[in-house]
Amino acid sequence: MGFTMPLMNMLNVVHLNCSRLLAFYWLPRDGSTTAPDIHDMWNFFYVVAIFFTVLVVGLMLFFMFRYRMSAKRQKADPSATHNTALELTWSGIPLIIVMVMFVVGFKGYMNIDTPPGNSIDIKVLAQQWFWTFTYPNGAVSKTLYLPLNRPVRFEMTSNDVLHGFWIPALSVQRDVVPGRIITTWVDATRLGTFHLQCSEYCGDGHSRMISPVIVESYSKYLADIKAAANLWVGADGKALPLPKVGEKLYNLKGCSSCHTVNGAPGTGPTWRNLAGSQVKLNGGGTVTANYAYLKHAIMNPDHLNVQGYAKGVMPDNYVEQLGGKGKYERKINAIIAYMNTISKHSNSASMPPAGATAPATSAPAAAAPPAGGVPKVAAAHVAAGKKVAMTVGCTACHSVNGTPSVCPTWQNLAGSKVKLKDGKTVVADYDFLRTMILQPGKINVAGATMQMPNMSAALVGPQYHGDQRLNDLIWYINSLSKRSNKASQPPQSSLHSTGGGK
Amino acid sequence: MSTTTATPEMAQAVAPVKNYLKQTTTIRSWIFTLDHKRIGVMYLIVSLLAFFVGGMLAEVIRTQLLTPSGLIFHGGGAAYRQYNQVFTLHGIIMVFMVLVPMTPAALGNFMLPLLLGAKDVAFPRLNLFSFYLYVAGAVLAILSTVLGAVDTGWTFYAPYSIDSGSYVVLMVAGIFLLGFSSIFTGLNFIVTIHKLRPRGMTWFRMPLFLWATYATAIIQVAATPVVGVTLLLLIVERVMGIGIFNSALGGDPVLFQHFFWFYSHPAVYIMILPAMGIVTEIITTFSHKTIFGYKFIAMSSLAIALIGFLVWGHHLFVNGQSAELDAIFSFLTFLVAVPSAVKVFNWLATMYKGAIDLKTPMLYALSFIVLFTIGGFTGVVLGALSTDVVLHDTYFVVAHFHYVMFGGAIIAFLGGLHYWWPKMTGRMYSEPWAKFVCALLFVAFNLTFFPQLVVGAHGMPRRYATYLPEYQPYMVASTIGAYLQMIAFLTMAGYLLHSLFRGAKAPENPWGGTTLEWTTSSPPPTENFIGAPEVDVPYDYSLVEYDAAIGSYIRKEPMPAVEQTH
Repeated sequence: MGFTMPLMNMLNVVHLNCSRLLAFYWLPRDGSTTAPDIHDMWNFFYVVAIFFTVLVVGLMLFFMFRYRMSAKRQKADPSATHNTALELTWSGIPLIIVMVMFVVGFKGYMNIDTPPGNSIDIKVLAQQWFWTFTYPNGAVSKTLYLPLNRPVRFEMTSNDVLHGFWIPALSVQRDVVPGRIITTWVDATRLGTFHLQCSEYCGDGHSRMISPVIVESYSKYLADIKAAANLWVGADGKALPLPKVGEKLYNLKGCSSCHTVNGAPGTGPTWRNLAGSQVKLNGGGTVTANYAYLKHAIMNPDHLNVQGYAKGVMPDNYVEQLGGKGKYERKINAIIAYMNTISKHSNSASMPPAGATAPATSAPAAAAPPAGGVPKVAAAHVAAGKKVAMTVGCTACHSVNGTPSVCPTWQNLAGSKVKLKDGKTVVADYDFLRTMILQPGKINVAGATMQMPNMSAALVGPQYHGDQRLNDLIWYINSLSKRSNKASQPPQSSLHSTGGGK
Repeated sequence: MSTTTATPEMAQAVAPVKNYLKQTTTIRSWIFTLDHKRIGVMYLIVSLLAFFVGGMLAEVIRTQLLTPSGLIFHGGGAAYRQYNQVFTLHGIIMVFMVLVPMTPAALGNFMLPLLLGAKDVAFPRLNLFSFYLYVAGAVLAILSTVLGAVDTGWTFYAPYSIDSGSYVVLMVAGIFLLGFSSIFTGLNFIVTIHKLRPRGMTWFRMPLFLWATYATAIIQVAATPVVGVTLLLLIVERVMGIGIFNSALGGDPVLFQHFFWFYSHPAVYIMILPAMGIVTEIITTFSHKTIFGYKFIAMSSLAIALIGFLVWGHHLFVNGQSAELDAIFSFLTFLVAVPSAVKVFNWLATMYKGAIDLKTPMLYALSFIVLFTIGGFTGVVLGALSTDVVLHDTYFVVAHFHYVMFGGAIIAFLGGLHYWWPKMTGRMYSEPWAKFVCALLFVAFNLTFFPQLVVGAHGMPRRYATYLPEYQPYMVASTIGAYLQMIAFLTMAGYLLHSLFRGAKAPENPWGGTTLEWTTSSPPPTENFIGAPEVDVPYDYSLVEYDAAIGSYIRKEPMPAVEQTH
């Protein structure tokens, strides 16, 4: 390999003069520590390619005119039909040249492939169709902040399909593969704002999957990621109002890649004037986009889809994406608060409830139902069930005060007679309610226009203590009905366990 | 021999024989034909129609990219999806319905038995069956497009192709059929070359187009089943939810890429090897000089076919495979450049001291040399590991494979189409118009794709419905080039159609070719040759001379007796 270096040096000198002459810009040279190597390699190939192209095309043009057929020249001159030595030579010379190219290219690649040991680690998450960067201090941002002259190692993965991490100005590219952790690194040597462009085709928003990349001094970088670290605090260190936090989340969590806020159509419905409005649903029916509906729509994106928008498009893991159990509710409230600031239909029912944890909205509170035949000992379970109904999103569809909606009201449901599609009538006892909730496809109620989603995972998943959440919910439904009776209530044994809602 | 073109003595001796076009003229005689020439013509018509559709889609793509925010599809996800469907369909049509079948199945079918001196291919029924498989595959592809166009890109990369809501299964089933059509064609050609060579046609007397076709057929038979299995696995994964390529189900998306390119890279040689074969035939004929280094050219075709099997991993340099694998694939990729270079040098040596007639086919062959050289060198830059990192998945790649596939395979096909047009149709085309279109196409091609090389080096990723404003000047230049290409192709369609109905009658041997197809009438009779064809050393230009009286080249000496041995 030793002989390649002088060759490279010589060719570099040749090329430097050539490129000054041509004044033609191909690849950037000064973006990162690896860029000069790649740039020089390119120049080497470029010179070789130009040389041989000129040789081949030059000979071709020369022969074309020198040996052109004419009245005087009707026949080819006699010449050899083959010459093994000559042919071996022109097989051997390209072989040597491409082998030099291979070695040079491979050496450069090993340098690119090996990150230095003392690097800063930034986690990169790609998903349709945005990038999220997580810094060592826990800060999360949609802008990639890079310190100047410090090696940064990227630990990348994808949430859905293939993506490509490509910053042309810094000469770094690597595909991001779902199910794998892919690493690459860069040591930026040029201040400025550049573009990270997704280079591996990933669907509708592929060409919009571009993030700003800011290369800045190390101290400025530290300040920026410190500010980005706290979702609830602004750059000035003061607590942000809830809608502002929601706006941050809108940009940070990828809502913005599908939902516009200016009324323009997108992959998902626009958020402009959404909160508080009447929303037409796929398959008919209308719901009011109140707080409960909006919350439900974020948590269960495949249910109650807005007319014209298919299910299966929006990710269904936003509970985890927003921090998981115990953390996501505040953030959903912030997002809904933000939606309300951009809607002319905003009203008290579409606003998040005052206080971070208070579950009661004004609507169900105003129509506080009679306790029916529910024993007093069940009061704690009724309260817990009400909380479950709010969390899971039942009240997005089912009214509790008798107001008609796309789904049956819960008022006076428990213990009442329910007509089925096949004409039979059954009593809404405990087993009926339980089946309806856990296996909604099994019973077909007359007049139902909407298929109810299966709620098993949200109610009796392994993380919840047995049937407690489900029973609390059914206690709550019973508390709304004056027909509630022993048969429609959960078994007495459920009263002995501690209140659910975990 | 037909009376119009045979030498006077022959005309008296043999009763006139109807050519393959006039033998029977019913529609039934075409759709159930077992004649390789008619099947070739049907392949030609369907693949030219596909080329027209694919070309118009390309014009839609180029029009969209006139402005950074998109001229046709703009505003959001649903609009971009339509753009994605357009470029996906452009790729699928051009690769699977144009490039793969066009030269091997259309020109190959027509010319292979004629160049070989055979009556037909070895399995005429299989030949017809493979044509209808091709049609069936195309119909399924159209059906999937009508029902819900595919937006996965022609590469069907998982897991997007598993997630995508479009009719991927139907499209993939169509391509599966197209693949089988290609396998049967390859099989047929291999057996034909092995078994149907006439007396005297030894392996090293075969015209070089046949060597190229033979190498191509090996790839078709050996590599195509892999893509068939891969696409079946994709269907299994989509329909049954079995995790093979989707990491969410425990599969591996990179595995799909390995499988896919194990076929699709050799497929590049399915497209380019017959193209090189055509260029070889054209250059020796129009230089009126024996091909230089017959054996090197023949062997380089086989070398390209064999090494071409081992380079697929260069599509995955930045896709997360190990550095060791990267190095091996880079090494093999460089190796495959050598036999390609050998061919170019041998072509130049053939021109040396020749009597070069710059007719249209020759102009296409010379265009091929220029464009293929650029395509080859840009390929070398992509094959080198460190430069690939900054060029991968950019417009540089788009431009590179258009230089090879369009500047190489399509340009050579057009050369072959013009070269054999008189033989196939019995008519001459307008030489001035054809030369004008060839020159226009050369300029328009470079105007379209050279700016893409530059904008790719500047970082513009491929498959973008919208782009950063700084790339616009290059995109506009490229679009102007694409419009000029459209003008060139429409003009070509015009003069070729004119030639079909009004063109001058073609003589037996208008160019002075020495291979067997030029010893039979234009167009040939159904049986190809009257009596057994006389096989000699190929490319002996001392045997033919121009006869101004009939406007054709003729054999100098009277045909030797059939029984004569060599």
